[in-house]
Parts: sequence; C-alpha cells; structure tokens
Amino acid sequence: MISAIYTFAMTTGANRVVRGARIEHVCGDPSLGSEKDYAYGMRIVGTALQALTVAVPGPTLFDPQAEETPEAVHAS
Amino acid sequence: MRLELGSFPVRTIAFGPATRWADGRLTVDKAAALAEVRRDARIASADLEVAAPGESVRIWPVRDVIEPRIKVDGPGQCYPAICGRDVATVGQGRTHRLSGMGVVEVSSVNWHDSGGDFVETYLDMAGPFAAMYPYQRLQLLCLVVEPDPALSDESRNDAVHKAALAVSDHVARATISLTPPERETFELGPCDPALPRVVYIWGVHSPQAMSGSLTAFCTATYGLTQLTAPWLLHPNEIVDGALTGPYRTAFAMSWTVANNPLFLDLCRRHGRDWSFLGVIVLRTEWTTQHEKQMIANQTAKTAKMLGAQGAVVTWDAGGNEFIEVVRTIQACERLGVKTVFLTSEDDATDGAPTMLEPLPEADAIVSTSFFKNVTLGVADPPPVRRVIGLDRKVIHRGSGVGLHGGADSALPTSGTLPPPWRYDDHYGFGTLSCIE
Amino acid sequence: MTTPLRVAHYVNQFFAGMGGEERADVGVSVREGPVGPGRALQAALGESARIVGTIVCGDNFINESPAAALPAVTAGLRELAPDVVVAGPAFGSGRYGLACGMVCRAAREAEFPAVTAMHPDNPGVAAFRREVIILPAGESATSMQPAMEGLARLVLKLGRGEALGPAEIEGYVSQGARRVWDRGRPGYQRALDMLLAKLHDRPFVSEVPFRAPDRVTPAAPVADLSRATIAMVTTGGLVRKGNPDRQVAANATRYHRHSVRDLEALTPEGWEAYHAGYFNHIVNRNPNYILPLSFLRDLEAKGRIGRVHEWMYALPGVSTPVAMARELGRGIGEDLREARVDGVLLVAT
Repeated sequence: MISAIYTFAMTTGANRVVRGARIEHVCGDPSLGSEKDYAYGMRIVGTALQALTVAVPGPTLFDPQAEETPEAVHAS
Repeated sequence: MRLELGSFPVRTIAFGPATRWADGRLTVDKAAALAEVRRDARIASADLEVAAPGESVRIWPVRDVIEPRIKVDGPGQCYPAICGRDVATVGQGRTHRLSGMGVVEVSSVNWHDSGGDFVETYLDMAGPFAAMYPYQRLQLLCLVVEPDPALSDESRNDAVHKAALAVSDHVARATISLTPPERETFELGPCDPALPRVVYIWGVHSPQAMSGSLTAFCTATYGLTQLTAPWLLHPNEIVDGALTGPYRTAFAMSWTVANNPLFLDLCRRHGRDWSFLGVIVLRTEWTTQHEKQMIANQTAKTAKMLGAQGAVVTWDAGGNEFIEVVRTIQACERLGVKTVFLTSEDDATDGAPTMLEPLPEADAIVSTSFFKNVTLGVADPPPVRRVIGLDRKVIHRGSGVGLHGGADSALPTSGTLPPPWRYDDHYGFGTLSCIE
Repeated sequence: MTTPLRVAHYVNQFFAGMGGEERADVGVSVREGPVGPGRALQAALGESARIVGTIVCGDNFINESPAAALPAVTAGLRELAPDVVVAGPAFGSGRYGLACGMVCRAAREAEFPAVTAMHPDNPGVAAFRREVIILPAGESATSMQPAMEGLARLVLKLGRGEALGPAEIEGYVSQGARRVWDRGRPGYQRALDMLLAKLHDRPFVSEVPFRAPDRVTPAAPVADLSRATIAMVTTGGLVRKGNPDRQVAANATRYHRHSVRDLEALTPEGWEAYHAGYFNHIVNRNPNYILPLSFLRDLEAKGRIGRVHEWMYALPGVSTPVAMARELGRGIGEDLREARVDGVLLVAT
C-alpha cells in the first residue's frame, strides 16, 4: 500500500506500507517541476516494488526518502 | 480578562417600524435591516422572514445560524475578523446578546467549487426531525440572500455571510443602551490549587485541503480558515465569537459554537470542579503523516506547558481528520494529560471498530451515536406548509452527501425529504449514544 | 408462592468429580439435581429456582466429537425441560470454555435460554460471544462465588422471560452488536463526569470499548520482480473522464475495473478523480499520482518488472464501513489471484 498517511495504514493492519507524498498527490509532487516530480514518483513506485520482494513479519514501513536501497522499518 | 455577558431573551419576533427589544419582544425594521445588507454591492437579492417554534416551516439551505452578540464595552467586535471585521482580541468588557433566537443565513452559495463539500442542512421547526436539534426552540430571523453570481466562489461566500452578520449586528444594536435582564460574568479567577487543571482541545475543520485554498470559507478562528499551528484562546474570546461556524452539519454553526454546552460548563464550573485553563483550537485536515503527527504532538505539548492535567477533546469533521485528533489524544496521554473524547461513531459493521484508527490511549470516550442519519434510522421529515429559502432541494447522487440513489434530482422542499447525510452532535447537546 | 424456575446445569468431568485429564473422554450423562459447583449455584439461586438436573460430559469428548455429544446434550436438556440452562463457569479452561459455548448454542437452538461464564481471555469467548451470553469470570475456581452470583442474577432474568439489556449494563461480554441507545443525559454532561472520574482515579466505563483492528498474515514475497505481473488498485476514486460508468464519490458498494492494456500512462483527457474526501484537482491534471501506470510502464520497458496486469481496479475509499471494505477487497483479491497476478500496488488517498 502506498499512502501519505502511513502510520494509520499500519495501525489498521496493512503489512507492506510505502510512504506516499501527500493525500492529494500520492506518487509524486507537482511543486517539484516535472522532471523531479517524475523522479520522485519513480522512487516511490520503486520502493513499493522492492517492498513486494521483502518478507515482513507484520505491518512494516518502507520509506522512499531513506537511503539508496530502502530498508524495511518495522512497526513499533 | 473579565467579560460580562448581558442576555436579552427573545420570545417573539415581529416586523415593525423600528428595531427594538422590549420585554422579550424583538421588533425588526425590515427595511432598515435590509438597507444595511444592501450597502454591499455584491448582494443581488435579500429578504427577511421569521420562523417560530412549532410552525410547519422548513428553512433551506441553512449555511449558518448566528446568535446576535455585540460589544458594549471593551476592545474589538463580536465575531471578530471574519468578513473584514475588526481583528482586535476580544473577550473583555461587556457584551450584549439576544438569547433564544438566531439569525439564519439562507443562501444557495456553496462552500467552494472543488467538490465534495455541499451545503445540505435544512431546519424544520416542528416534528421529530426538528426535535433532534436545539434550533426548534429558537425564534429564527431568516435572511434569504443571494449574491451576484458572477463573483468568485470566495467572494460570494464572504458576501452572504457578511450580510447575515449585518442583520445580526442590526438587531443586537437595539440592546446597547438597555439594561440586560440577565447577566453572567466570565472570568478565570484564582481558585483552589488542589483543583484539577483542564483544557478544552477543540478540533475544528479547515477547508484548506478540500478546497485547495488558504482562504476558502468555513469555520474560522479570527477569520482564518487555513491550517495553522494550534491557537490558544481564552474562553472569553469564544463567548465573543472568535470561533465562528459554520461547517457542514447542523451542529457546526456559529450558534452551537457560542452556545456549546460542554464549553459553557467548563467555564461555569471553574473554581468549583476544576481550574479551566482555556481552549486550544486544533485545526484539522492536514494531508501528510508528518503534519498530522506534528499538530498532535504540538497540541499536546501546549496543553502540558499550560499545566493541564486533563483535557476534553471534540472535533467537527470526519474521515482522515480523525487521525490527528486521536493522535492528539494519544500524545496527551503519553505526556500525562488525561483525556476524554466526545465523538460520534461510524457504522458498526460486523463487530469492526467504529473509529477510523482505534488507539488504546483513547480509553475514555463519550459517544454521541452514529453520525449518519440513515444509520440512526431517522425518518424522512414529512411535508411542511411553508418554505423559507429555495423551493427545491437538490439531492446529490454519489457525492459525499451519500446514498440517495437514482439520478441527481431536485425534490420540492415542501414535500417529504431525506434527512441530511450527517447528524453528528459535535458538542454533546443530545442524549443519543451507542451501546453494545 | 410462584413455582421455582427449573434450571439445568452443564459441567465437565472434573467439576462432576469424575477425575481430571484421564477422564476427559467420558461421554454425556445426566444426573439428578446439582452436582459439584451446582451446589454453589443453587445457593446463589435460593428459593426462586431449582437445579433439576446436571449434564456432564468430558471436555475432550465434546470438543473432538461434537456430532455425537451435542445431540445427547440436547436430548438430556429436553428431558430435564428447564426454564434456563447454565454452563460452567469455565474460568480459564479453554476446552471447557469451548464446551460451554457449544452447549449454550445447542440449548438456544432447542429454544432454551442459556448463559455461561468464563474468563475474558478464554478462547470460548472469542468463539462464541456473538451467539451466547457469557459473563466474565475470574481465571480460576477461587472466583466461583462471584461467578455464581452473577450467573444467578441472569438466570432469574432469563427464566422470567425478562428482556436482557445491553452487555454494558447487564455485565455480560459484548456480542459485537453496537446500536443506538439513548443514555438519558446529554453527552456533554457524561463527558465532564467521565473527566472528573478519570482525574480523581475513580472507575469509569468508556462508551466505546477499545477494539484492535484485524491483523492479516502478510503474503509471501515476490521472488523475481523481472518476471512478475504487477497490478494496480486505487481507492483514490479514479474514473474515466466524465464518469461514464457512474461511479459514486463516496460510500462505495462496488468497485470498477478498467483495462490499461493499450495505455502507456493515464492522461487528463481520459481520466479524472471523483472522490468526496480530498481535493481532486491535482490528480485531474496527472491521474498517475493515484494509479502509477506511467511509472510501471517505464519499469516494464526496462525489464525491471515482468509486465503490467491488464486490469486496474478503482473505487472511492471514503466513508466506507469496514465490513464493506473487507468485501470489496476480497472481491478484488480473488480476481487478481485468478488472474495469477504476482504483486499489487494499492494507492490510498
């Protein structure tokens, strides 16, 4: 699941949660200008696809803002 | 800050040659009141009508209900800073109000044109539907007003609300030199230090996210509707109308905010049951997790820094706005501020939680029942003899207004109508709740 | 003087004095009058009710062979012709708790009002609370006395045909049937009362008990993205431009699926958002923000993923009750599983 309000997604049981940009534009940010907007969207989608390949024990956050290969951050 | 509120009860409203109040009778000089409304060139049409309790009358569309309040002494203007009014901090000196009545803003102007939020409140003055709301006991002076349709969204909203405030000021002015039959002093005087210290965390919807605008019309804090850091208000500021309605339900009106029974009891029992520290206005509908968590953390921290040991929390919205409200509660509890949450509930389906994000820290909840009229089983109000306002009510199919089925249609206002989508008793006026 | 109510009591092999684990396989038997803890129940009932008989069964037998045990229990009940059936208390014993639940359900099916008691964590509660009246009890038989007093109170009510009030008032475990209730006092007064109680460390009862959301077992990871079929789902209310499919903007009771087979990206000419819960204009200018087709096509072309699934799913995820959301999710999930999709990106607004 890609969502800007990610903690709530995890509290309510979504297991692989990727942090999106904002409710109004989840996969990108128009204020960045079209090139950077697209790159941001690719980061988010790339993180989401990566998350699909990771075994998770329960609700886990994947943050596209994190380092190169996004690490899984487990829910506390 | 000391505020003396003088009340002039209104038991009947009639039109007459001069606007005056005497012994519970309010006479309104219709031409003079409308002349003040028409001073604003943006107004295209305006008329005044009266609706009394028990009458077979329906008022639609209801954008706001305003209790006329006016400063007699002390800085500023009641209902400050909205629609160009004085921004000075209010809450001191003397204020007069006409109690037992409301000025109703009746207009087809919708909140904003970005979709999703529609004016849908209508009020009856008799019958079981009317009995669910406090307005059916009030004398209502209805301003039916339309602005120049060529104006922008925000201008049209500003124009009609300003018009309603003009009528409110006009009638309130009749009390300025009179001696109020009832008087109440609002003051947070020194009190026993052993009394628990409490704040009221007042969640207020901001239209910023839904409208895409910082200045869209909606319930306002000194005229501001945008998302901001929490505002700390002295209770007297609320009494002078610093927090104005309206939002989208019958319980989110300037009248219910100024007459919020939860707020008033907090004021009146200061020094007896608690030490009331004030109101923290929490604006809601932030759209990232960061923002939601930050407003929650900062609101709780503000309460803690004020010395609060307890907090009552209410909100006036729905959907994802629940998140910052419940996380404010969680943050308060984690800081040792004990909370009570007054809220409505979503449908109970199959034993699933009726709250969007249940958190164990929200362990003291008072429920004002399901917020949907359809879930409450509210019957369609029957036909009425008279309509104030538009003679047809559009039923939006598939909008946030809910499941009315069929194509978009417009029904005669005077006939049987489905109730508005939401009931949603934000401040606990009523006795309805849920149980299992 | 009114005739005392007839009560039938159910206990397991241990409380019947037959033995412990080694006798858990015994079948159903009926004895006259109260047995074991039935005496404490009789004492709590006083003159108003009489335990006319006790049905005994081994915990293993009833749990492993309910098809044999339950008809025998029901037959025993019919012979006893009680006004009310009481099972347990089971306290913390899991198999006994499940047995009590089964017995009460069977009793109800045979039209005998029934009630049981057990510790709130007993698996019998989770399994039977919706169908059976369960009084919360302590963990062990040291709390026999209060358990019997509670049961006696409910027995007399049920036996007299009195309507049972809601769980919160009568004290039994919630049956998960939340409904409208007039509490008689305005909400603001109840809130301030609750605040004072909480501040002064006095007991209070929340009107909305905490209920944790469901947990779902995570799906196994995708082994190889480069060979995977990836589908997209959105709750952002994506619709074809002009909404020809008449999708609603809130309170969805169905989802829509659209083919993206011939599309490289979603364009504002073809698509828009119709969702009552957020500002739609930004997505209207670039619908890929809520359904990332353009990005996935890019990755598909680079071989990073195998292929984009032909069908995408859309609905407005606002004001959707949990049970409806569950049903819709199940529907979409089944579709995708049948289509042998390997992974799904679900974008929520």
